Order: sequence, then structure tokens, then C-alpha cells
Amino acid sequence: MNSLYHGIKAIFVKDLVLELRAKEVLPSMVVLGMLIVLVLRLVSQVGDLNLGAMGVGALWIAFLFAALLAQERSFAAEQHQDCINGLLLAPIDAGAIYLAKLLVNIVMLGIFEVIIVPLVILAFDLNLAGGFGRLILVLLLGNLAISSVGTLFSAMVQVSRVRGSLLSILVFAILLPMMVPATFALLITFGINPDDMAGTGMVALTGNFRTAVGFLVAFDAIFITASWLLFGFVVQE
Amino acid sequence: MVSESQVQNKDEPALHIEGLSMRFETRRVLKQIDLQLPAGQSLCLCGANGAGKSTLLRIIAGLLHPSAGKVRVQGYDLREKPQEAKPLIGVISHKSMLYPELTVEENLTFTAQLYGVKDSRDRVKQLLHDTRLYGYRFDRTEILSRGMLQRLAICRALVHNPCILLADEPFTGLDLPSSQHLVAVLHKFHQAGGAIIMTTHDTHYGLECCERIAVLDQAELIFDAPVDQIDRIRFLDDYLTYARQNY
Repeated sequence: MNSLYHGIKAIFVKDLVLELRAKEVLPSMVVLGMLIVLVLRLVSQVGDLNLGAMGVGALWIAFLFAALLAQERSFAAEQHQDCINGLLLAPIDAGAIYLAKLLVNIVMLGIFEVIIVPLVILAFDLNLAGGFGRLILVLLLGNLAISSVGTLFSAMVQVSRVRGSLLSILVFAILLPMMVPATFALLITFGINPDDMAGTGMVALTGNFRTAVGFLVAFDAIFITASWLLFGFVVQE
Repeated sequence: MVSESQVQNKDEPALHIEGLSMRFETRRVLKQIDLQLPAGQSLCLCGANGAGKSTLLRIIAGLLHPSAGKVRVQGYDLREKPQEAKPLIGVISHKSMLYPELTVEENLTFTAQLYGVKDSRDRVKQLLHDTRLYGYRFDRTEILSRGMLQRLAICRALVHNPCILLADEPFTGLDLPSSQHLVAVLHKFHQAGGAIIMTTHDTHYGLECCERIAVLDQAELIFDAPVDQIDRIRFLDDYLTYARQNY
């Protein structure tokens, strides 16, 4: 247990130092996020689109694409000079590598969320009717889901020549069932009436806010545990 | 560079390989390898490209799982007790396994943390002094020359005081002074009681650094003899023919 903690801590700190030095990931995440918000805000002025719903859509689209940028880089530094083997030679559980990388991705996406969410709230004039606590809860669960899936598949696709496109295909496909309750929960948090969602299938699939959050918790728990346990098979030759 | 403390089971050989075979799909890469390396002995593994040298080293390092057979490091089964076996192994590879954006000191400290080295600051300082890299400790690894990078990679391999050092083609790309420095480091490690397995195409270095030579040919270990029992001139001339004739 002690070696697991030391391994996670060492890799987590090392990755943060590398990102602070290189400044590769976070600036591109923020620029991409702002671009998505700007384009969707412009589009939302056409016709009588629901501004609140567009804002929620802008948030999830920005989270997903910005997270992919960070996750694609997650194991890139380890491929250079065969550093991944340096990690695997050490007497630490391979799961520690996954958990450390997951933490880094959660932090990166968390910082991104802190920057983008207020921007979207202002740009789309969102009303935080569900309360700040609910917003934090949904964002955290969404962050965990996106990061846990992305971190695992990022390691899997590193050896591929087309890792960028392969990563997005795999991550989006796996996250699809999670996006319905996540979007529903955020719509409720921003005071969108469930009656306005008739015809989308979200109410029928999710039910209410509590069920949506329960689904997200289950998704996160299953995916993080399974990824942690399976990670050794993913990175070992 | 190696302390006595890492030699835990003095009665056990540093390395014991038993019936080791490896297949990549239908291709057999290693066939029934049996090898024992006593503590403090150095072995040079020779063979043509594709003979299985690097695969054997990767299996001993725990990076590959063999199709059959067992590897024990000081009595610890590498598959069953990796937490005990892995800290006893140090690896020098073709690639440095160092992060270019981290400084010289940060790279070593990071590795020391992964291995749970106590007093890691002192250990890192001592290694940097030994390899004359102390003056570069705050420099990023990306600015180091090939020779300095190799010296740092050696520090990385030794930071946790292993009892066995695996060196895969360690002389590749090194100029003469860097190669001589590496020979000196290997001698020092050996004199301190560390066991070495080294692969090389340069049999001259193999004879200079090791007291035992083994030859891998088409996935099989066909030759294994102490250096002082080898006809050096014939061996240096064509080691593969020599090994096949003495099989």
C-alpha cells in the first residue's frame, strides 16, 4: 500500500512539473474551449433556440474535446526514451501508473472547468437554479468519467500511428451511455424544465436528477476500478 | 556504487533461469534456456541480431512474461514476487529512460522515489559525484551530450543499489572516453559484489568487462564458458563459428 502511494505521488508530481514546464496542454485546452463556446454562442442567436440548453451542450462539448487533448498527451512523454519501461521496471503496481495519470487528467480538466464554466454561465446567461453544490457534483462526476475512460484508452492507443483519431473514437463510444444522464443532470442544475426535454428521450432514460447522479456514480466506480485492475495487461508487452 | 545491503540471500545465486522459452505467436524466440549467475559474477551475452539477447534481458527485467520457465532473482520468483525481485535489478537500455524536460537531479530523484530509496538526496548526490555530473545537476537532461546521458542512465540504473545489472548494448553510440568510463563503472560495480549481464556485438568489450561469455544462436544458448578458458584470438575473429564448433 505504501509503495502504491509513493508511486502515485512520484508520477503525479513529475507529470505536473512536466506540464508546468512545457505548457503544452492547458493553453491549447483553454483556446479550444473558448472557440467552442464562442461558435455555439453565435449559433444560438439564430432563430429561437433554447439558450440554456445550448449552454449546457457547449459545456459538455468543450469538456470532451479539451479532455481528449490532455489525454492524448498523457502517455506521450512516457514513449519518448522508453520511459514507460522505466516505470514498469520499478517495484510499483502498474495500477499506480494509471491512478497517477488519472489524477493528473482530473486536475487538468478541473482547471479547465474552473475557467470555462463561469464563461459559459455568463455567455449563455445560465441560471444556477439547482444550486452550486449540484453543479460541482455533476462536473466532478463527469470529470471522473471522461478522465477515467480517456486515461485507459490513451495508454492503449500509444503504440498506434493513428492514436489521436483512434482515441477519440474509442473514448466517445464508451462515454456515450454516460452522456445522457450527465447532460440531463446539468440541464436540471441550470433550471431547464424536464417538460421542455420531451421528445429527447432523456427523461424516459434517466427519470430524475437523483437517478442520473446514481448512474454517473456507478459508471465512475465501475470504470475506475476495472481500469485500475486491467491497466497492467494494457501496458505490459 | 553498490552496497552490500542489497545482497539479501547470500546463499542464493543472483539469477537463476530454468527452462525458459519464449514465443511471439508462431515464432520461437528463446528455447529452453537454463542459466545460473552467482552473486558477483559478470556474464556477456553475445549473438547475432534477432538471436534473442534483448528478449532474454527484457524477461529477466520483468518487462516480458515468458511462455514457459521461471526466472528467480536471489531466490525470488520474478512472476510471483515482483515487489521483492524488481528492486534487486538495475537496467541500462538502448534508450535512456530519462525525461528530457526534467533536470539531471530531478530524473534521479524521481527514480529513487519510485524505488522507495531511503536518504534519496544523499544517494543522488553521491552518484552524481561518482559520474562527474554534479555540476550539471540543475540542467535539463535534453541539453546533455550522448556520453553524459549514458552516464546519467547508469546512475538511474544504480540509484536503488541493485545486486544485478542488466546492460543491453550499453556501448552503442558511445565515443572512446565514454566507453572507457562505462567499463570503469562496470568494473566498480562488479568489484563491489554486483552481478552483471551484458549484451554486446563488440566481443572485445565483452572479454574486457566480463568473466564469463555465453552465446545465443537461433533462440538457443549454444555456448557458455569462463573468459579465461576461451581462445581469445579465435573468439574475437568469429565468435559465432567458435561457439558452434565448441557446442
